[in-house]
Amino acid sequence: MQIKINREVLLKPLNNVTGIVERRHTLPILSNLLVNIKQQEMHLTATDLEMQISLKVPTDIEGELSTTISAKKLLDICRSLPDGTSIEMVSQDNRITLKAGKSRFNLQTLPAADYPLMSKASGQNISFTISQAELKRLLKQVEFAMAQQDIRYYLNGLLMEVNGDQLHVVGTDGHRLSYTNTTLDQTFEKNEVILPRKTVLELTKLLDEQSESPVVIDLLNGQVSFEFGDIQLISKVIDGKFPDYNRVIPSGHQNTFEVNRQAILSALQRASILSNEKYRSIRMVITNGQLKLISTNTEQEEAEEELEILYDKTPLDIGFNVTYLIDVLNNLGDEQITFAFADANSSCLITAGSDANYKYVVMPMRI
Amino acid sequence: MPVLKTRRIAHIDMDAFFASCELSRYPELKGLPVVVGGRSSHAPRIREDGTHAFSRLRDYAGRGVLTTATYEARALGLHSAMPTMHAAKLAPDAILLPVNFELYRHYSRLFKEAIRSISPLVENIGIDEVYADVSMLPGEANEIAQQLKSAVFTATGLTCSVGIAPNKLLAKLCSEMQKPDGITVITLSDIPFRIWPMPAKKINGIGPKASAKLESLEIKTIGQIAAMSEAWLVQHFGNSYGRWLHRVSHGQDDRPVITESVPVSMSRETTFERNLHAVRDKPALSQAFTQLCERVASDLQQKGYTCRKIGIKLRFDDFKTVTRDLTLPAPISDAKSLRLFCGKCLKRIALDKKIRLLGVKASGLVPTDHSVHADAAQFTLDFTVDERGGPGKLDSVLSDILA
Repeated sequence: MQIKINREVLLKPLNNVTGIVERRHTLPILSNLLVNIKQQEMHLTATDLEMQISLKVPTDIEGELSTTISAKKLLDICRSLPDGTSIEMVSQDNRITLKAGKSRFNLQTLPAADYPLMSKASGQNISFTISQAELKRLLKQVEFAMAQQDIRYYLNGLLMEVNGDQLHVVGTDGHRLSYTNTTLDQTFEKNEVILPRKTVLELTKLLDEQSESPVVIDLLNGQVSFEFGDIQLISKVIDGKFPDYNRVIPSGHQNTFEVNRQAILSALQRASILSNEKYRSIRMVITNGQLKLISTNTEQEEAEEELEILYDKTPLDIGFNVTYLIDVLNNLGDEQITFAFADANSSCLITAGSDANYKYVVMPMRI
Repeated sequence: MPVLKTRRIAHIDMDAFFASCELSRYPELKGLPVVVGGRSSHAPRIREDGTHAFSRLRDYAGRGVLTTATYEARALGLHSAMPTMHAAKLAPDAILLPVNFELYRHYSRLFKEAIRSISPLVENIGIDEVYADVSMLPGEANEIAQQLKSAVFTATGLTCSVGIAPNKLLAKLCSEMQKPDGITVITLSDIPFRIWPMPAKKINGIGPKASAKLESLEIKTIGQIAAMSEAWLVQHFGNSYGRWLHRVSHGQDDRPVITESVPVSMSRETTFERNLHAVRDKPALSQAFTQLCERVASDLQQKGYTCRKIGIKLRFDDFKTVTRDLTLPAPISDAKSLRLFCGKCLKRIALDKKIRLLGVKASGLVPTDHSVHADAAQFTLDFTVDERGGPGKLDSVLSDILA
């Protein structure tokens, strides 16, 4: 059986699925892609047993093929071939030959029947739709606050909570929390899942921020599925209880000031050069009309930045991990940012001028 | 009485401990070859006349090893750590008893309390042996040894062997010289006659590898090591081990008796009755895995530690052993987290052979109260207190974190 496909047609879909293939895995077939060609359609599938991405390659194709091929090698071959090359595939027994121009590659394959496909769980809970651009925007706003390899495994992911017509999305590592929400066009009973970190990062990569086309999100039994464009992503969810984010979002912080995002971001980035490398601490000294950012490191070097602000409330001297502040400022599109405090031992609430839904809560450091 | 310039350290080692505990429970077995190492199914049955019916070694099938053999059984060639099936071939009629740790722990406590009643400076080194620093006790070494022995006998009805010497190294070597029920006292001047003729591998710290290397250099006894220069030993064994060999061969050891021990690691392992297949026996394997994690977790919690590092050990049917470990972002001590991270280690092992043994180990131990303050400078979001309407509060509860 002989199959022909253009390099450009294959390259982007290949890039999209291979992201989740683990480099080192004890099950050899997991480093392979499942390639299915029949009825003029080509489908690629990759999985790491926690999540699975399947997509339809947008082309008409003749022939039939069902096998698994090393994801990395296939991608590397396609990537390094010249533009416009037509690739010819011939599969025989447990090998496949790729011919392109004067190049020829003979690769091992493993049987498609052995590929550990994840099937979509039955017993649907909730299904709703949101545009690609909107979902990507929501995820981008909170994903940086997720924990990484935390022993509280339920923090190594992102909470998606549907409640009424609201979708709440929350990430936290226990020191800071990033929250946003959006309105859905339907109403649902309360339902929540924790998306694993890897799923969130992969999904954000796949979503097109320019596209208003819909993403169908199904919250299933122990699973969640996202379908958009030619892509279907199925992921297991983290089995655990996400902490009650409502409890840590303050609403009574009186000591507030507004500041230009770019101005304070640049000042923080400069000051961070001389902050303690391990603790990344920075001091915020807030007085009448003035915000001072002060950092020192173990070599007793010091940086100081001054910003003019409109402020006439209680003077404050409060410490933060500068990374937590830079993270949020980098991920907000707005120009005017509001900081709200109670005292030097309590959380700080950061909100954006134009997006009333977004809230970032960060705990201070003892200084 | 002259002021003691040198230390006086006693090493007290119970004689055939597990077997002796069993004998005090079943006195009718005295004088017979008895080994401990069976399963609960080998427990003695009570006959109608009230006497016990004991299992014999020939009744054993499995892959356990002997934990102890009485001196009568040792005369038949049996010794601890010998595979039980092998022992059964040598002495099929020897009495076989199941391991009863509960009983041994009970006697162990009595024994250690007895030693402490004589000298409070006691270092635990095992269930059946301790060091005691007896430098401050009045009297000759022999009298002290006699006191220790009789205190142990009064408390337990069991005998022990005592070695008294200027340090732990020599005390351990000499408690073995007159076993069972013996007393050995040596001083530094006795070293050439009594220590140097001993095989090098008798020293704790000269294991199979080092002794093989020593033998390849024609060195068999401690005296032969002592005859070599320190430079020669360093050249062949490296700086630290070479210097250590030089010191110990001359009977030098300044380690103190440590009364409060800080554990380095805690581990649990289990050998399966039959080799398990990674896929077909997944439920059994998974259950054993979870149980090991639960046991390690309860060890940690009981002793008041959390661990920063966990590891697993797998032995396959071909006896190949692999280990994988993982350093954790924060210390843990609960079974669920242990299981989660051990599961990650397991994913890094190719499971293409049947599994014979599974082990879980916690290391990088941190006392629980220390780990709480590890990251104290950064305040933590407190999800346990409602913030709405009020000012934020700093987190004081860390139990939530490990929940």
